[in-house]
Amino acid sequence: MKFLKILIPLALVGLGIAYYLYNKPHQNMESAEVQLQASASELLAAFETDEAAANTTYLDKVVQVSGKVRSLSRDESGHLSVTLETENEMSGVICQLDELSEPARTDFQAGEQVSFKGNCTGYLMDVVVVRCVEIK
Amino acid sequence: MKKVLLFTVLALGLTTSSYAQKFFTRTGHISFLSDTPMERIEAHNKTVTSVLDAATGRLEFAALIKAFQFEKALMQEHFNENYMESTTYPKATFKGQIVNPTSVNYTRDGQYQVQVSGQLTMHGVTKEVTAPALIKVQAGKISATSTFKVAVADYNIAVPALVRDNIAKTVDIKIAVDYQPYTN
Repeated sequence: MKFLKILIPLALVGLGIAYYLYNKPHQNMESAEVQLQASASELLAAFETDEAAANTTYLDKVVQVSGKVRSLSRDESGHLSVTLETENEMSGVICQLDELSEPARTDFQAGEQVSFKGNCTGYLMDVVVVRCVEIK
Repeated sequence: MKKVLLFTVLALGLTTSSYAQKFFTRTGHISFLSDTPMERIEAHNKTVTSVLDAATGRLEFAALIKAFQFEKALMQEHFNENYMESTTYPKATFKGQIVNPTSVNYTRDGQYQVQVSGQLTMHGVTKEVTAPALIKVQAGKISATSTFKVAVADYNIAVPALVRDNIAKTVDIKIAVDYQPYTN
């Protein structure tokens, strides 16, 4: 009987922890602290020169990237991606806006200077930063 | 008069031949679904790059593993750290070919059913895959969709016994891309 008195609360705590972990929320990008900072040109140049090194530096980090808006695109559900200007006209930095928070604004204009923080996921033709939140 | 006509014909001919032969996108959408009675796991990646060469039917896709977004943070963490090891293998790529490229008329509106085959590389493993795809041409806009299955074990992805019933043996992959003309 004594044995059960210990075991049952323990099991409940275990279940509680498991449930909490399973439903652990995504990182809150609005309050996430910026770990690295770069201009769009610097960020792209880092990946162009040495992709492996840039992966080590930037992946899984909250990166603040600044630059001029080159173009905008919306996906089928209306979520916005902003491509930032770099020195290479074929490649840019794609900032996909965070889908888990409400953006303060979406009326970005080509040529406008902006800053985003987001998770850098790597380099294809462009550097891709997801879950971006604008920094004023 | 004849000269004018000839000039017009030539000019028209030139415009047709300079018609974009390559199409690309940087905002393609790939999603996958692992559906078991225990759990439904779905993730979306909307920053997929793809190039389609209309003349030859060559087709390439590239996606960043870390750009797949899940409903649950824990699933995303396990996907990146335990299964796909996305720090070591940050990308998934497909390089292939439309098997019957001449069956698509990119200048004429319509829906064209094609077969695509090529090499799919992810988690450091390259495998030959063939999948049906649908290419749509509408008012000069080219889009493509495809659905196919991938066996988790084929890509050297080990699923621990504890969650074996939670993760499907074969995962459904869905691709949807809207291409833009590529001019260089």
